[in-house]
This record gives sequence, C-alpha cells and structure tokens, in this order.
Amino acid sequence: MPNVTEGCVADAKSGVRLATRSDGAAHRDDLKDLTSLAVQGDRTAIESLLAQLRPMVVRYCRARLGRVSGQYHIADDVAQEVCIAVLSALPRYRDMGRPFASFVFGIASHKVADALRSSVRSAVPTQDLPDGPDEGPGPEETVVRYIEAEHARRLLSRLPDNQRELLMLRVVSGLSAEETGNVLGMSPGAVRVAQHRALARLRAMAELESIA
Amino acid sequence: MTAVHPRRPARRYGPEEDPAVSEAEAVIQALSLRRPVSEAAGNDEAVRLLLALIDDVDQCGPSDQRCSSVSITPSA
Repeated sequence: MPNVTEGCVADAKSGVRLATRSDGAAHRDDLKDLTSLAVQGDRTAIESLLAQLRPMVVRYCRARLGRVSGQYHIADDVAQEVCIAVLSALPRYRDMGRPFASFVFGIASHKVADALRSSVRSAVPTQDLPDGPDEGPGPEETVVRYIEAEHARRLLSRLPDNQRELLMLRVVSGLSAEETGNVLGMSPGAVRVAQHRALARLRAMAELESIA
Repeated sequence: MTAVHPRRPARRYGPEEDPAVSEAEAVIQALSLRRPVSEAAGNDEAVRLLLALIDDVDQCGPSDQRCSSVSITPSA
C-alpha cells in the first residue's frame, strides 16, 4: 500500500512541525495542476495532492475541535475522515473554476460540525507510556502553550460563526482570501473586510478580559 | 436668501481600501504563511492569541505517528 507522507520537517528543538506553505500563488497553481491529474486517476498526483492538503486539514480540525484529554486524537481522526471523503469524492469532482481547497474545506467544515454534534468528551485510551527520553518542550512550556491556545479557542468560539470560520481558514489552515471566500460564499474583498472586523472584535474581547 | 451648506467631503475609499483593512490583511497573510509579523503586530493581543493557537495546532510530538505519515490511498 503506498504511503502518503506529508513532508514533516524535523526540528531538533521543537519536535516535528507540520509542513507549512511557502508561497500562496505557486501553491494554488500546484494544487490546480495536481487536482486535474488526480481527477483523471493519476496515483502519484493523488498522493501529492493529499500530502499537500492534509496538513492544512489537520490544523483546521485541531483548531476547531481542540484537545481531548490533552491529545489531538479526535481532531486528527476527523482530519483523516476528511481526507478519505475527499479521496472518495475525487472521481466525481468537476472543476467549476473554484479553488480545490474550497471543495476540501467545505467537506472539512461539515465533518467538524458532525463531530461537534456527536462529541462525547470521554477519556481516550492511550498506548503504554513511551520508554525513552521526551524530547518535546518541558512541562512549564507545555502548560503555558496549552493555556494560551485554549484562551484563543475560547475567545474565537465567542465570535460570530462566519468570523470564526473565516479566521480559522485564513490563519490556521492558510487559505488565501480567494479560497476562503469560495468556501464561505464571499468575495475576496468581503473576506478582507470581514477578517479586519473579526480581528478587531477578537482584540476587543481579549482587552476586556484582561481588564476584568 | 439662499442657504449655503458646506459641501460634504466625498468618501475617499470604500471599506476594502481602508488602510486598516490592508494592515489586517498583511498581518493575516503573514500568519497564514507562518512568516514573522511586525513588532507592532506582535504586540497586538489578538495576533498574540492567534500565534498561540497556530503554535499549538502546528506542533506535533515526535512520537505522534499521525503527523509523520498516513496511508489513505487505496492499494495498487
């Protein structure tokens, strides 16, 4: 069975970081070319396409669903379901002039909504404790990072749905204004105005909390 | 007698051309591409929160195999 390796970049100090996009326009062109080949059944193109999309989907699901018992298992499972759904839908995909990412995040948005509806926040069984040195960040850094991320999630959850979704897609998943607009049914200009308002609202909420 | 009203200043730009919108776009584009933000933006509480979230979701422990590889394409 061929593996889809997402191209993690190993970093000796910070562990393994998910691959990030380097250039927006080039990335979109790559995706467009890969998509047309993948729809025709080209296996290499399918693997490359999924390898490019998966990190974006994982980040989106993690940001929306958060951790359960300190782990991202549920979010990562949902991300995997999204990738499988994209793979299944690929033969039926028709290019209507919209970026492929908007098709993927349309699926991701529904999968996350399903997961939120059916979420049962129960303990997640874990494997045996790893036998070896933990090369990740120390406990204090881990806790601080966790608290800050949870604070961000809590404030984002208080934004109107459209503004929250917009920031998730643009900032966390790394979609362009055009791609985000296609997912949300907005023009790129409207996305830029809305993200400015979302940022201002987030800032106001954070400042209000720091005063209280 | 004719009243003379001062002419209303024409609006110089629509919301999309508002400099604040362009500044927000520059910050969000930098966050999106995981590039450093300006010092001023880095002091913005909203940006700091988004950076914390990005840092959290991008991180992936060395033992987390879900982040290192996946097998979701069908067998040949």
